[in-house]
Amino acid sequence: MSNIAEAFNNKKAFIPFITCGDPDLETTKRIVIELEKNGADLIELGIPFSDPTAEGPVIQGANIRALSNKITTDDIFAMVKELRNTVKIPLVFMTYANVVFSYGMDKFFAKCKEIGMDGIILPDVPFEEKGEFDAVAQEYDIDFISMIAPTSEDRIDKIASEAKGFIYIVSSLGVTGTRTEFNSDIASLVKRVRMNTKVPCAVGFGISNPEQAAKMAGISDGAIIGSAIVKLVEKYKSDAPAVVGEFAKSIKEAYHAS
Amino acid sequence: MTRIKLCGLTREEDIKIANDLKPEYVGFVFYDKSFRNLTKAQAKKLKGLLDPQIKAVGVFVDVPVNEIKELFAENIIDVAQLHGHENEAYIKELKANNIPVIKTFQADLPESILLAEKSSADMIMFDTGKGGGVQIKNLESLTQLKRPFILAGGLDPENVSKAIEIAKPYGVDVSSGIETDKLKDTYKMKQFVKAVREDKKMADSKGRFGVHGGQYIPETLMNAVIELEKAYNHYKDDPEFNRELTDLLNNYAGRPSLLYYAKKMTEDLGGAKIYLKREDLNHTGSHKINNVLGQALLAKKMGKTRLIAETGAGQHGVATATAAALLGMECVVFMGKEDTERQALNVYRMRLLGAEVIPVTSGTATLKDAVSEAMREWTSRIDDTHYCLGSVMGPHPFPTIVRDFQAVISKEIKEQILEKEGKLPNAVIACVGGGSNAMGTFYNFIEDKDVRLIGCEAAGRGIDTFETAATVNTGRVGIFHGMKSYFCQDEYGQIAPVYSISAGLDYPGIGPEHAYLHDIGRAEYVPVTDDEAVEAFEYLSKTEGIIPAIESAHAIAYARKLAPTMKKDQIIVVTVSGRGDKDCAAIARYRGEDIHE
Repeated sequence: MSNIAEAFNNKKAFIPFITCGDPDLETTKRIVIELEKNGADLIELGIPFSDPTAEGPVIQGANIRALSNKITTDDIFAMVKELRNTVKIPLVFMTYANVVFSYGMDKFFAKCKEIGMDGIILPDVPFEEKGEFDAVAQEYDIDFISMIAPTSEDRIDKIASEAKGFIYIVSSLGVTGTRTEFNSDIASLVKRVRMNTKVPCAVGFGISNPEQAAKMAGISDGAIIGSAIVKLVEKYKSDAPAVVGEFAKSIKEAYHAS
Repeated sequence: MTRIKLCGLTREEDIKIANDLKPEYVGFVFYDKSFRNLTKAQAKKLKGLLDPQIKAVGVFVDVPVNEIKELFAENIIDVAQLHGHENEAYIKELKANNIPVIKTFQADLPESILLAEKSSADMIMFDTGKGGGVQIKNLESLTQLKRPFILAGGLDPENVSKAIEIAKPYGVDVSSGIETDKLKDTYKMKQFVKAVREDKKMADSKGRFGVHGGQYIPETLMNAVIELEKAYNHYKDDPEFNRELTDLLNNYAGRPSLLYYAKKMTEDLGGAKIYLKREDLNHTGSHKINNVLGQALLAKKMGKTRLIAETGAGQHGVATATAAALLGMECVVFMGKEDTERQALNVYRMRLLGAEVIPVTSGTATLKDAVSEAMREWTSRIDDTHYCLGSVMGPHPFPTIVRDFQAVISKEIKEQILEKEGKLPNAVIACVGGGSNAMGTFYNFIEDKDVRLIGCEAAGRGIDTFETAATVNTGRVGIFHGMKSYFCQDEYGQIAPVYSISAGLDYPGIGPEHAYLHDIGRAEYVPVTDDEAVEAFEYLSKTEGIIPAIESAHAIAYARKLAPTMKKDQIIVVTVSGRGDKDCAAIARYRGEDIHE
């Protein structure tokens, strides 16, 4: 069983996302610790990219803030290494193909393993292109997380049957960011995924509050929250860790209530 | 699958790594002038440690044949590789003793190919270089070979994929390419094997030009590009579609465009004869209309009612807005905020044509950000919307579709120049940002090896400054905007802010087919600075009475350098991709004059 499976073991997972280095790495570290303390089951750590084409304005902004602080991939590796002294829950990186490719595929995944990462999400690497990344990731026991979208249709079967770690179900069309409603039929997406794999699936994109999170986790194995948290970080800056911790707590309470 | 031979292993640890990497062959060198030379005893020990699935090849230079027989009989080697002047009788004697033979030939000797084809050796090996890296020219000649061969000489983890792509060998042999300080380097050995085995991993990937291209886009868009590819494959050979498109090109866009003999320019430069391919005379004032009419018609057949597009200088935006107006479709154009300011006239034209223009403020607020924003928009609205990409870039099938629609440029050049001159040009020149007019200009000449293909990149303030957009000259391979290709980027893969006076060339990447033509040495990509382009802009206006777009002026600038170095009976064709009205205010500002339109 991969370490990631632990996050879903007999529970609905709460998966927060934050962009590393926004507003600075020290705050990122404190947020991760608060998130774990308040019940996060797995954390997605964003390595900033100059041109994040799958992100809405909120996470784009976080990427730009982090990069203007001159945060590099190596700085983030060093931060995770330190965090791993205390943080035990699974951690996955979320970034873009060029960040990994340019670092050197082998070097990147070797480093991931060394510092204790468990998986990677690359929103601009679909099933057809995953081979060159996944082959190396596997060597270093890093799970390459696949995404399934409302438009995936007949692609669902093949994506699901090769999936590792967990499956990231994209709730609706468009980029990341908060939404008031979800028009696609997520329950039937989940159902089709489950016909092909035992790998758990979590829903993300647009989930912003405890009610939505509990509802999405209810029809799948977990909920991913990104932009809503990044907004809090943007607003509270170095005071964000406590606020984000409170937010995480409210999510887990909503899980238990439903 | 390409076989691998890791040659010149000397230590026990080398064998351990080979056992992990599982090449088909390893090589033991028995040649006392080599620092990799092994004694019989050393080789015997290494062979004992070698995974029996891996064959040990003994490498020899003119040794008495009995030495080989002995090593084979004692099971120290499984194959003999002959590097000296061994003749047919020698090879036959080994074969008579059931010893498989590999005979090596020097790829740079013209007689090698014939000799190799006749050789009775079980396998032949071509040595392409003497340590100076792989020579592309030598590799191309190997494709004439009518029997399988192993490629050797100058290979390393960086160049091996390219070499395989071009020479298509049965196997590859490497020795110094996996060494550091004359010893085998574990990391390099791993990287080499990985690079060769890559073929298999990329099996699912579509739209490759060598290593470049592919479909690096969010899952949400995958079915949209698959649907587009299917529709394109269907309609590109559909007579009705082609009849409609040709009718639009000829009776609406004004094709064929003129091939104009620039007599005054030719005389002034005093060298090669210069012809201008006048894409600036097309309706809407640039080559962009060729692609847009094709894509808009395709989108309409697919039942789409809305076109979205990115634009840099505004020429592609104007063309898209035009096609949308003509075909009764909705149109939204994304344009970097900075570009909306330096190309205000084109913004007005698009709005006049009924399009909505959305200024993009993210990132550097230029063409790259306009592409990103158009992609984001397409992710959120796919059903009724076609993304009308303006260059030979982005995810497959766009680079192919746009190339095919722009190939009309070189098709016409070929017909027109044969009619006027009775021969092909010596060089064709075009400016390159993403590279659509250049790809259109090159495409029908790719197989005509004597025609030089020259792309002019925007060097901005110079390729040794940070203010440049010369991707091939300053970038490296990366993945962005749906494709693998060359990109200007920093050491961590962050896309670099690029700069050029020309909004249309101000892009940090280049189309994947150009990247490939560069890799195989078929096309040349030269940098042209702002200053040179502005001078050419003024030069062509004064000399020929033709005001070129500042983008096209980059190609004119290089023609001015090249023509005087050529003979008078040689011919250059320069594509004038667009007209320069849109640039007049900006160039005036560049010259310190503020004009109000």
